[in-house]
Amino acid sequence: MQITLNGRPVAADPEGHATLLDLLRDELALTGTKRVCDRGSCGACTVLLDGVSVYSCLTLAQGCDGHDVRTIEGLGSAAEPHPLQQAFALEDAAQCGFCTPGQLMAAAALLAANDDPSDDEIVAAMSGNLCRCGTYPKILRAVRRAAAMLRETGA
Amino acid sequence: MSKPARFVTTTVEVEGRTEQRVVEMPAFDLEPWGADAALTHVGARALRVDAALKATGRPGYTTDIRRPHQAYAAIVRSRIARGKVTRINVEAARAIPGVLDILLVDDVPARTRLFNAEITYHGQPLAAVCAENQAIADRAARLITVEFEKGRHAVTVAQATAANAQPVRPGLSNNLLFKEPRTTERGDVIAGFAAADVTITREVRTPCALHSALEPHAAVAEWDGDRLTVWESTQGIFRVRDNLAKALDVPLTNVRVICEAMGGGFGAKNYAAAHTYIAALFARRLERPVACYVDRAGEQVDTGNRPSSVQRIRIGAMKDGTLTAIEMVGEIQLGIGGWEGGPGEIYHELYACPNVRTHETFAFVNTAAMAAFRAPGHAEGAVGLEAAMNALAKELGLDPLELRRRNTATHDQKKSRPYTGNRLAECYDVGAERFGWRDWHRIRRRSKDAHTAPDPRVVPGKPHLRRGVGVAAQIWSTGGGPPSYATVRINTDGSADVLAGSQDLGTGTRTILAQVAAEALGHRLDQVRAIIGDTGATPYAGNSWGSMTVASLTPAVRMAAVDARRALVEAASGLLGAPSDQLEVFEGRVAVRGSERGMSFGEITAKLGNVMIQGHGSRGPNPQDAGIVTTGAQFAEVEVDTATGVVRVVRIVAVHDAGRIVNPTLAESQLEGGIIQGLGFALFEERVLDTRMGLPLNVGLHDYKIPTMADIPSIDGHFLDGADTKANHVGARGIAEPAIVPTAPAIAGAVADALGVDVLELPMTPWRVLAALAR
Repeated sequence: MQITLNGRPVAADPEGHATLLDLLRDELALTGTKRVCDRGSCGACTVLLDGVSVYSCLTLAQGCDGHDVRTIEGLGSAAEPHPLQQAFALEDAAQCGFCTPGQLMAAAALLAANDDPSDDEIVAAMSGNLCRCGTYPKILRAVRRAAAMLRETGA
Repeated sequence: MSKPARFVTTTVEVEGRTEQRVVEMPAFDLEPWGADAALTHVGARALRVDAALKATGRPGYTTDIRRPHQAYAAIVRSRIARGKVTRINVEAARAIPGVLDILLVDDVPARTRLFNAEITYHGQPLAAVCAENQAIADRAARLITVEFEKGRHAVTVAQATAANAQPVRPGLSNNLLFKEPRTTERGDVIAGFAAADVTITREVRTPCALHSALEPHAAVAEWDGDRLTVWESTQGIFRVRDNLAKALDVPLTNVRVICEAMGGGFGAKNYAAAHTYIAALFARRLERPVACYVDRAGEQVDTGNRPSSVQRIRIGAMKDGTLTAIEMVGEIQLGIGGWEGGPGEIYHELYACPNVRTHETFAFVNTAAMAAFRAPGHAEGAVGLEAAMNALAKELGLDPLELRRRNTATHDQKKSRPYTGNRLAECYDVGAERFGWRDWHRIRRRSKDAHTAPDPRVVPGKPHLRRGVGVAAQIWSTGGGPPSYATVRINTDGSADVLAGSQDLGTGTRTILAQVAAEALGHRLDQVRAIIGDTGATPYAGNSWGSMTVASLTPAVRMAAVDARRALVEAASGLLGAPSDQLEVFEGRVAVRGSERGMSFGEITAKLGNVMIQGHGSRGPNPQDAGIVTTGAQFAEVEVDTATGVVRVVRIVAVHDAGRIVNPTLAESQLEGGIIQGLGFALFEERVLDTRMGLPLNVGLHDYKIPTMADIPSIDGHFLDGADTKANHVGARGIAEPAIVPTAPAIAGAVADALGVDVLELPMTPWRVLAALAR
């Protein structure tokens, strides 16, 4: 099978039971995507599948054949960060940082569909992503800020 | 005159416990940074230094370590609460391609205390398997079958203390910590109640709560000959190193523990544990790196918990609210192991009262051991104490805030000594102002008396909704203490490193240490980097527990930076041709006072070549004659749906006095985090046990509910300006644990205010709210 991973074609041969999370972390060594609950309870493994946020722990790898997958490693880079990554840093929206990649990908899916979300819309989009440090107020601010940055740049 | 002793014995407090320790007196003293000290980096809202790394998913957590030829381990756990292993069948597991090794009780050194034929709780590790990858290891672990003789378990205090109870583990004469209940008393409680105008009783229950850090406990171990390197998600790299060396009988110098980044601890990650030893033992047997991660069910079952409590409280007061006696009889369900981190302590500390008695039964039971969980004991104790205070205020017709204000503790009553600083009264005032507490109560009084203003508890047009407000206070020892060391070195390009054996749990240690070093060195913050989390590279620092890190470490860091700055100034003196006392240092430049002449750090160090500019710092003892505490007050407004029983927290105002705040942004983040964990404790979080089978039932993040973004109220977190110069020369105390203590009691108080009845068992789930309403 072949997927487009962070903009590049990648060939893989996952076993039938392997999840997209297994493929990313264990086969491809892309460790930015986190394994926490491994059963769709926490959102730490959120990635974009054809631009839509999915729990990679509940997504079978073989089902991604021919599809576009984007992970935290492909959201932006240190040199050219995504506005969300800038906003998360500026608003202190990561304490331990372990849930942060999942939070960022969930927010990226939201902002790709709606660059002017209300707080209720942000909360609805982000409530599938747990944070045990309790960074939610700052994550909310960061998503608002990133949305404003996106609207300004028209990106 | 004789030279003062370099090594002296002193008293330090950790998580409410007092320990005697030898400390090294610092080689020189520093003038404290007072509240009005002109500081550039300390007190600034500097961005978290690893924020960009975290936002790009690259911090280097233990579970992300990938060593060449790394193998993976899985743990086989008991599925019963009590019994004896008679046989473990491993043949099917061993036959799977990719399985490399299996560890049973006979394969492990006794000092690791790994595995045991005696089963004493559900989830106890019984064996481990190692394989080429995690999927194979997990599959093999499922194929290892354990045969056992089932015994009779005791998973509740009642079962463990029944007349015919069997020891929950071998070697116990009864199932109580200290073999008997612990009673602590000051004054004369009987006389205190006799003198009271009013006596209130309450029985309050708090749940067993789970730390639920998102990063699991994890270790990656690698041997190079007789040298062991372990990457571990831990709150104490040096303690893990010491645990490993002792258990495996290797010299300390051969063990290196690294924790570059960690995904939360909250008290559960203070020691090496089964997963650590399993990784190290497999790695030694297989001569290749081995990772052992605790899976989510294991994480929720067997890595620690906040033990549940029952608190029976009696509180006596005069008509004006002056407390005359406080009594609390408590039962604490520890688990198979644990210590006296009980609810009793706060009853002796928070309010001024001459007569206080607590009587606590700490029972061992056949569930996984408790572990310190953010303000262990105080978070539970505050729920009971504050419920009783609210009931007393209601009985006396007093504003609950006014009752608290009238009973403010002016000194450390347990040890009859003053506090270095305690501005709780100011926290009440500032908090009440920010919350609008007086307005709420003024409107209420008017509405009661004359029906002229709407009752703020009523939501217009929504008769099923009721609003209420509550307040609660907090006290927690946060002085930190020795030993803690730091080294500051200036590199040949003028940049600087601060080295300390601490770790960053997500609190911002890395950032705080860099800020203090930059300040004391006179350097630019972006030129200073903290190197932490590596026992092979840093001097000793203690565990990040007990809200101790900032107060323990920053004085050592400041001293090391001053020591380095002095050496740099001496070197610059020769280069600039000016005496040292005419040189000043600011933002990476040494200049001759009152002239244009000066050199940057880089220009100086370039001339020095590889001559090291290096400073050493150590943490001196705390004052012996004063208690060091962080205090604060939190105010909550809730909305309760009386039809469904759902409680929604509308807003929280928190005001705390923690001395100097090194970084207000990071402090606010910690405060918000503590409040949100406290909200979870108040409303959602509870490990549910099947007491008949002895099994925990909700061992995942779906059934064990922690707050999500949808549960978050508006939070106004605030710290009083100031510096505690009597505590240490940086003036800082801790904040991590204080943040959680008053949240649940403030929310409970608000719910009681809204409904007119108490919900006396946490979490205040819809069914408990409805049951309270039906009473």
